[in-house]
Amino acid sequence: MKNLSFLRLSVWFYLAIFFAYLLGPLIIMSATAFNSPDFPRITPWECLTFEWFSALFQDERILNGIKNSVIIGFGTVVLSVAMGLAGALLLTQIWPKLRATYYTIIIAPILIPGVVLGISTLVFWDRINRMLGLGADSFLSNGLFLTIIGQSTFIASYCMLVLVARLQRYDVALTEAALDLGATHAQAFRKVLLPFMRPALASAAVLAFLASFENYNTTTFTFGEYPTLTIELAQKVRYGITPAISALAFIIVVLTVFAALANEAKIKRQQLVLAARQNASIEELKQGIKLPGFLSGNAAAVALVLVSIATVVVVVTATTHSPAQCIADVKEQKRIEAEKLIQELRAKRDANRAKEDNKEDVQQAPKSENNSGFGNVFDPNALSTDN
Amino acid sequence: MPGFLKEFLNRNGTGMGLAILGLVLFWTIVLIILPQVSMLDFSFRPNLPPPEIGGPKDIYTAENYKYLIFGPEGGSQDYNAVDLRVFFRTLVAAICVTIFNLILCYPIAYYLGQTKGNHIRIFALMLIIPYWINEILRAFALRIIFGETGVLNNFFVGLGVFDTPFDFIRNDIALYAGLGYAYILLMIFPIYNVIESLDRNQIEAARDMGASWIKIHRRVVIPYAKPGISSGCTMVFMLSAGALAAPQILGGPSSLWFTQLIYQQFNDNSDWPQGAAYAVVLLVTCILLVLAIMRLFKVNMGDIGK
Repeated sequence: MKNLSFLRLSVWFYLAIFFAYLLGPLIIMSATAFNSPDFPRITPWECLTFEWFSALFQDERILNGIKNSVIIGFGTVVLSVAMGLAGALLLTQIWPKLRATYYTIIIAPILIPGVVLGISTLVFWDRINRMLGLGADSFLSNGLFLTIIGQSTFIASYCMLVLVARLQRYDVALTEAALDLGATHAQAFRKVLLPFMRPALASAAVLAFLASFENYNTTTFTFGEYPTLTIELAQKVRYGITPAISALAFIIVVLTVFAALANEAKIKRQQLVLAARQNASIEELKQGIKLPGFLSGNAAAVALVLVSIATVVVVVTATTHSPAQCIADVKEQKRIEAEKLIQELRAKRDANRAKEDNKEDVQQAPKSENNSGFGNVFDPNALSTDN
Repeated sequence: MPGFLKEFLNRNGTGMGLAILGLVLFWTIVLIILPQVSMLDFSFRPNLPPPEIGGPKDIYTAENYKYLIFGPEGGSQDYNAVDLRVFFRTLVAAICVTIFNLILCYPIAYYLGQTKGNHIRIFALMLIIPYWINEILRAFALRIIFGETGVLNNFFVGLGVFDTPFDFIRNDIALYAGLGYAYILLMIFPIYNVIESLDRNQIEAARDMGASWIKIHRRVVIPYAKPGISSGCTMVFMLSAGALAAPQILGGPSSLWFTQLIYQQFNDNSDWPQGAAYAVVLLVTCILLVLAIMRLFKVNMGDIGK
């Protein structure tokens, strides 16, 4: 028994270290967004400030990057979900002998380094462009087009994996029934298969958008004149970092936590409703059962509400809080410290000089007139005395 | 295969069938195969100004590959020591990162896969959230921590462990931590997926027969989880060997990653064929290494990506 509890303790210890490694950097980074020094740090903590957020929203390049990222993200979602769905449909039907080869080809882009994908896309379309005799400003060498194409190459593989998992549970008899009842193939696809695939399509689309939004390796070769948010961030981080980046990171972290909690709360709620329906008696069902409240037994929903409240508090504080006094105080304190330091140094120097003077007085007293290392050549009287 | 094609079109309807085929062909041929072939072809050509491309000087040459091994012609050294060292260092470091991640993640994946309860969903959520944050921002977060006046240095100097701040970035510790950090989820999920489907009774049976804790893992869990482990290791290795953001942000000023050399060839030297040749070398070496290791551990390609 003692052994078991020791094991359990060490498991928890390991989990704690692991999640500290995983989440610690994000928490620390978020915290630096609220500290006033120009360099992102949490120690020493100087002043609670929100100026980095306004600095962020005034940054033209970041805003422009967000715009490009969103355009590219939507393009990539459309293209890669369509290709992923087609790829998944073909995978479930393909001739068995070809299956392994086909699977290897469509799964390969996940394993190919993003840098290689970016380069090959750039080189290939550049060549097509030249073969067609188009200029350097043609559609095919446009940064948006190249980035969407390059990202879709591997994001479509992710989508395919998500979609094929759902497609394997699809009963082909449903399509056949629709066809027997006189639907065309396109109708059967739109009215039977697509509704069945909707949850998987939604998660594939979200996944594709996120993957596109945060992609760096491929985009860095293809973006041309349309830098995405990730590219702008990388350039900022490489050439000098400011807490404004932390502020952006904080916003992204909060949005992510929101999305994850909302999704989790929704799933949990569906489970609870389902359980309530199953447990209800027929009588209760007739009268319309009382469904559990949104917050009851749903930890994720409670957390969601708490995070929302915290966000509101932060925003309200941000509008009312003014760090000017604190920053002035810190500046004053720094000035005093610096002055103290200067005075200390001065005192030390004076002390040293006094000591040296004493020494010189003792040792060099006989030739005190000539104690400069240059032998008085700079003495204005030196020349005249020679003459 | 016209029979197969006809059947396919019959089953899906001509319009739908052609749409599916068209999309798949566009993806596999225009997006996947042709660009790779084109890059391979490009890597064997000299670096020419645009007007001369396709002209008489545009012939096949192995010059770009020779450059990687022997360095510039008439150079002072027999081998291109700088680039080769970067290349091998990248591979070795990527392998080390993979092993580090495997050791770190296996217990977590095992714990998550074999424990039931509500808190497992919360852990899964906590695993996924960092993965949704931008790669650049994750590297940036580590830079704040490992910097000269960063959290770690302040902490250790404050405790009196170090007298002066320790340069984590110059010593590449930040880089390895960053690479490991970036791909943790890709190691955990494949292993977790496999271990979750392992019947708990097998472990109980082994324990009842008197197997020690280590033996249970070596004889029961690890053989069962092999597809997941190899899939996770392959992903982490390929991604860290091909990483660009983490080395650019967390790498020391004197140490380069091979992808950074490729980047320099493209962006700073504008020598595209040279960059393409380096990219081909990176791709081929990584694939061969992965295949060799998979052969060594007897894993199939089909298990990857499940």
